[in-house]
This record gives sequence, structure tokens and C-alpha cells, in this order.
Amino acid sequence: MKQKKEYFHAIKLVEENCTGCTKCVRVCPTEALRVRNGKVQLDSTRCVDCGKCVQACPFDAIQTYADDLNIIDKFKYKVAVISTSFAGQFSESIGYANAKKALLHMGFDEVAEESMVTELMSSIIRDYIRKNSQIRPIISSNCPAIVRLIQVRFNSLLPNILRIEAPMSVLALYYRNKIARQKNISEEDIGVFLIVPCISQVTAVHQPEGAYKNVHDGAISISEVYKEVISNIKEVQKDETPIETYPKGLSWAISGMEAEEVNDGTLRTLAVSGIHNVIKILHKIEDQQLETYDFVVLHSCTNGCVGGVLNVENPFVATSRIRNYLRTAEHKNFADDYFYEMYQNNMFDVLPLESRSIMSLDSNIKDALEKMKKIREITKILPGLDCSACGSPTCRALAEDIVVGKAELDDCMVRLKKMRKQKK
Amino acid sequence: MPEYWYIKPGYEERTRKFLENKPQPEVSSDFEIKEHDFVNAGMASGEIKLSLKRLGVKSEILRRVAIAAYEAEINIAAHSKGGKITADIFPELIHIKLQDNGPGLEDIEQCMQPGFSTANELVREMGFGAGLGLPNIKKNTDVMHIESEYGKTTFLEIIIYFE
Repeated sequence: MKQKKEYFHAIKLVEENCTGCTKCVRVCPTEALRVRNGKVQLDSTRCVDCGKCVQACPFDAIQTYADDLNIIDKFKYKVAVISTSFAGQFSESIGYANAKKALLHMGFDEVAEESMVTELMSSIIRDYIRKNSQIRPIISSNCPAIVRLIQVRFNSLLPNILRIEAPMSVLALYYRNKIARQKNISEEDIGVFLIVPCISQVTAVHQPEGAYKNVHDGAISISEVYKEVISNIKEVQKDETPIETYPKGLSWAISGMEAEEVNDGTLRTLAVSGIHNVIKILHKIEDQQLETYDFVVLHSCTNGCVGGVLNVENPFVATSRIRNYLRTAEHKNFADDYFYEMYQNNMFDVLPLESRSIMSLDSNIKDALEKMKKIREITKILPGLDCSACGSPTCRALAEDIVVGKAELDDCMVRLKKMRKQKK
Repeated sequence: MPEYWYIKPGYEERTRKFLENKPQPEVSSDFEIKEHDFVNAGMASGEIKLSLKRLGVKSEILRRVAIAAYEAEINIAAHSKGGKITADIFPELIHIKLQDNGPGLEDIEQCMQPGFSTANELVREMGFGAGLGLPNIKKNTDVMHIESEYGKTTFLEIIIYFE
């Protein structure tokens, strides 16, 4: 068997809270969770950090991980890069500009917004789509959970993934270099932190795959920053220093809008959100049924980044607020010559992704076929209810677990009960 | 019955031996396809694709099988009175056999021409019937064999080698 690499995941399993209810087991899109001996277990090689289990758990037994706000103190000069979904978290009485300003009161020296570059990135992506006309459709690389889903389950689509950095990573690179040059601070003393809406972005910061390679200093959750904003808001509102915002680019927080931005009217684009919907679309792409599309934007969370588990506000409310900002937003160009120079020098390119396939039963086909035969035999004698009472997500998954020695036939309670009846 | 054979150059000997010896498959699956069932069409090819992923078949090969199997399955749903698919998996190849319940092809050679289609309006409205099905299957397979006669049934078999 292949050597297993340790993967970082932004979730923590809290054993004492787990009741073994299997709600998480049933929602996991990669069958990464099992309940064994009454407690949840995670297969690190299968998890894609989508956060579905966190939302499903009623007992707080699967908790999110993000970096603490105080890690910024380790650096002399601190930069925050806020995700587009941040703007949707605050009511109109607080307002986006004040929420952004609050970060300066929290100790950040500079605050950048993902929305500063989303428009520019859209035109860069458009260029990439045109240059790579032999690959269709191109799949957006912005959602780290989707990138990992493709790595573990849809290997053959790895060449379709866009090989351009994510906007927040581009900004991190830009700010680090700019500040080092202009303020004469050494790069190690500059900390660039993402303020993120989901655990897959935390994972991307700690273990980048292709995109997000420039943001190694840390990822802080929107919910943690939100608490600080709310408790300091009075003081922030008194501060009259003018602050600029870039609401026009906030559209990327909402599913469908990134595809719209990239599409200048000459492309066919498609946007899909919610990881189970995404899986259906990836199957279609794999079967070459969507070759007529040029660009496909996939988000693991329903509604897009506003649906991430590290947000505070309901995703529909957040969407409505962001749409409000967009209605009156004016176009602003943030980029300077240095930004274009970075692009010209291919600094936004990323390397092709490697497979992390979890799909094969064995490293050679003959042994895999033997296992498959056994799995099929066992599946036939299981009840086919997919009740998860055994702790595996489906009867077929239990059969697989039995064949690889991770479960026993007697774990199936339905079958045990039936056999007991027959004995009587 | 009229026949059509395509064997990719270099695969003649292997294929002849395989078809003569008729070995027992390691794993075999059957699927029923109903006439004009566009909702479920794709399930059989989806299952076939999943099996090959579980076997660790290379992704380039997997894509070819996925495309050929999907096209063949849609062909039965769109153009026939329903039929049956059998997917036989061996350590070195997959052999997919599709037997429909009619009405059979009038002219096989013509059906192999890209763009030729007999699809009715319903089928076209569903976005199928562009006349690329059989040529697209051929493009993705190592062996393709059709036996059909108008008024009777159509048998299609394809082989894709893993190496």
C-alpha cells in the first residue's frame, strides 16, 4: 500500500461530546467519518474540509479550528486580508466601512479586502480560459474544499482546475512585497492573515494545494473577528479617520456571481453551490457532458462563501446585504504597476495538482478485483437500508470496511436482529 | 445480420484471442434501460465508472470508459425500445455489451458518420440526438462491434484495455 501522508484538517473531534448518533457520518460527501465503539473517527486521507459534519452535529462534538487572533502579535507589521463574505456579517447600523476600520483598532496595521482584486482576477481568469482552449470546462480553484474533492474523488479532472492563484493569496503576496519595499521592514517581520468564512480556507493556509501558497502566517475566523468588532464598535464609530472600501468586488462571496464576473458575454459559464450538487456536476464533467461550457465555478457551501461555517450571519441575509452594497458600488481600480508586473512575471501561476485519490481498493487491479468481489458478496447479505446504525455511512461502505478489516459483519444490527428471529 | 467492426490497430491479436476464448469475467454487472427514461439514463455508466475508480484504473482510461459507456447508455434510452447493459470486468480490460429490444439500425455505416441522426423531436428537445453518439463511442474505445438489422434489434459491444 502507498505511504499515507498526514493531512491537516481544520476540525477537532471532541470525544466526550460525541453520542455516536451518526448524523455526521451520513452527510460526509467523501465517507471520511465512522462511528466505532460509540465515538466518531475521521479518516484524514478522505476529508476535504467541507464542514458538512460541523453543521450536522447537534452535540458540538465536531468543532472548527482557526488560528487565534493573538497570533498576530508575533509580527511587527500585521496585515489582515478580509474575505468578501465578511461584509455580509454586519447590519446596516454598523456598516462595512466601520467593520473594516475595527480591524485597525484590533491591532492590524493595514487591512486589505479580497474584493480589491476580484475584478482584476476575473479578467486574468478570462485570459487563462482563452489561452487554454483545449481544456473544457476550466474549473475555478477558489474553493479549497472543491479542489480537494477533485483530488480525492475526481482525479481525471485535475487538468481542468484553473492554475491561477486565489485573490486573497495574490493580495498576501502583493502586500508582503510592497510593505517590505516601501517601509523597509524585513519580510519575516510582516504577518499577513486571512479573515476567512470557512474551514477549508484555514486548511488551505496551513497546507496549500496549488492555490493559497502565499498565506502561511495564519487564518482567523470571521466569527472570532466579529466578536471583537461588536465589542469595540462604539469606539470605532467615534474614530473619524476616513477609510476606503471596495464593495464592487464583493460579488465573489455569492455563488453564481464569480462566473458572471468572468463572463464578458462571449463565454458559457456555470455556477453550482452545495457540495452534493457539485458532486453531480463533476460526474457530468467527467462524462464529457459539459464540454460546451468554458468556465465552471463550484462552491462547497450552499450560496457560496457566505454559507461557510465560520461566518456568523445566516447566508441568505448576508447575501441580501452584499447585494445591497453591489447595487450602489462604483468601479475602482486598485492595482498599480507593481501588481501588473507581478502578473507579467507569472507570479500568480500555480503548479499542477497531484492526485490524493481515495478511490482505489488496492494498488494493483488484481487485488482490487478480489476485494471488489468480496464487497459485492457481503453487500448482498446486508439489508440495504443504509441506516448507518453500524457506524458506516451505507451498507456498501460497511461491506468495504469489513473487507479491509475495519468492521465486522456483526456490526450490522438489522441483520443480527433478523438472525435472532430466525433462530427462535 | 449486418455487422460493423472497429479494432484499433495493434489490438487485433489480443482481441481475437479474447473473443475466441470467452474467459469468465472477474466481476459482472447487469443494468436494465427503459425506453425514453432520460431521468435514470446515466446510472449504469455511473456505476461502471465507480467500479473502475475502485479498481484504480488510470484516469485517462477511466474517462474514455465513462464517455463511451454514457453515450452507449443514452443511445438505448433515446433511440430504442429499451434494453440491457452487461459490464464484464477483467484484470486487463472492460467488455461492455448492450442489447436493445429494437427497432434496429437501417444502415450501420451511415450511423457511424458524425452528424447523422434518426432522433425524433422529443429526443432532440432533451438535448440528445446530435448524431455524435456512435462516432464518439468509437473514438473512445479500442474495440467496437455492432450487429443490427432494421426491424430487429441492435447489439453493441465495446472493449477498452487498461494498459
